Amino acid sequence: MRDEILNVQHLSYGYPSGHLALSDISLSIGSGERIAIMGSNGAGKSTFFLNLNGVLKAQSGEIYYQGTKISGKELKELRRHVGFVFQDADSQMIASTVQAEVAFGPMNLKLSRDEVEKRVTQALQYMDLQSYRQRPPHYLSGGEKKRVSIADIIAMQSEIILFDEPTAALDPLSADMLEQVLADLSREGKTLLISTHDVNFAYRWAERILVFDRGKILADGNPLEVFLQEQVLEQAHLKKPEMLKVYEILSAQGLIKQGSYPREAGELAKALIG
Amino acid sequence: MKRHRKHLHGVTSIDYYACQSGLRQWNGCYKVCAAIVILILCLLLDNPWVSMAVILTMGVVNLRGNGVSFPVYLGLLKIPIAFLLLGGLGVALSISSHPIEPMSISMHWFYLYVTRETLMEALQLFLKAMGAVSALYLLALSTPASELTAVLRSIHMPKLLVELMYMIYRFIFILMNVQQGMKNAAISRLGDADFKTSCTTFGQIGGNLLILSLKKANTYYDAMISRGYEGDFPFWEEKKSVKAWQLVILGLYITVLLLIAMITSVIDK
Repeated sequence: MRDEILNVQHLSYGYPSGHLALSDISLSIGSGERIAIMGSNGAGKSTFFLNLNGVLKAQSGEIYYQGTKISGKELKELRRHVGFVFQDADSQMIASTVQAEVAFGPMNLKLSRDEVEKRVTQALQYMDLQSYRQRPPHYLSGGEKKRVSIADIIAMQSEIILFDEPTAALDPLSADMLEQVLADLSREGKTLLISTHDVNFAYRWAERILVFDRGKILADGNPLEVFLQEQVLEQAHLKKPEMLKVYEILSAQGLIKQGSYPREAGELAKALIG
Repeated sequence: MKRHRKHLHGVTSIDYYACQSGLRQWNGCYKVCAAIVILILCLLLDNPWVSMAVILTMGVVNLRGNGVSFPVYLGLLKIPIAFLLLGGLGVALSISSHPIEPMSISMHWFYLYVTRETLMEALQLFLKAMGAVSALYLLALSTPASELTAVLRSIHMPKLLVELMYMIYRFIFILMNVQQGMKNAAISRLGDADFKTSCTTFGQIGGNLLILSLKKANTYYDAMISRGYEGDFPFWEEKKSVKAWQLVILGLYITVLLLIAMITSVIDK
């Protein structure tokens, strides 16, 4: 069992308009987990992220970070440990050079100039952005902006990183690069939460899936458990991943090793050949 | 870095050129001081030759150093030129009840006349103002807003004002992006079919702009908060030291301007 890094107890959040976006959410997140958050538009995924990040303050319920209850003062602490990559990279861009942009977070952490410089260099290297250092971020392409917005958070060295629909509006090349970065971050022990509509991506990448429906958690488990529950898929308007469909067809014909459940082409080939 | 990559207009283009300017790496304080000194010289010396020298040299620096293409620079100068021409006309023309030599135009009830003196005065005023405008363009086209705020901060301008200035500057761009997007969407659905439709579209965009910008502003604020913003912009400032040769160039330039002023005033006498 992994060490618990974040614990949410009975969290409810309603917008001033009276719309209840989250109702009574409770869950525990282990350190280093790869979690995909799914659910239709307006199911409460983004609101959940904003709460986890300490931007929104829930009306009721508690959040514990490594066993410490987060309240008032610790909200800032929470933002230190939880990074949030916004869906629209543009909304994150504040400064007028990539370097200053990536330095914004570390500067807010009141780090020394040398430390900020070190972290910015590391983060730019990580996202392969060294040659963009002096460029104005507003005039970069969509994929490049996404990379800058991820470097923003890497430079803050948060233990938990939230990605709000990171693959939306990315070309295939940038999406591949993103998956590579996610794999690297995961290997380094970061806890990653990603909200996505891409069932194939969730099935292949995640080790745990949370399905949100109208502000509640409808299902919580490993990808296989979640995608095999027809009723959950129907209620949350999710489709079955292609790989799982292929497996089920082959399995019904007795053409594939039972219980192999391949998640990507390579694994499928292995299960078929032997 | 690629230059002139995008077709940009107005404020956006000024910001874009400032970001990719060849003088970007020069010290911000130096650029502000240089622009102000040149501007003041232009105004105080009040000498058409000095003004012309400033217009020419600043033009060269803006085209070469700041990497602005000639048509774009001309476009940027168009607005001040229009204003100055109108202002100059007001200075040059006078009204009289009877015709005056060498040139007067009858307007039935009165005469508009121009004398050599007023014409020269208008020309001098025009050149003086254009010199000042060119000097300011030198600053605007080489220094992005964040660098300007850093300079203001270093001369101990109140923090509130500096940050407000930067936020407003950022939001102008957000507003313009939102407006551009809505305008394109409206045009693609024939929102500009005729004059009446255009007016309605314009009104609707205006109304929506408010709502959309508020929503955008909220997201921007959330993004800032989530990265630890606590009511203070501690922007990363690069250390750009002033090099000796840059000071020498400025010194030489000022000396040359003063010399031009002295020589031409001697000749005039």
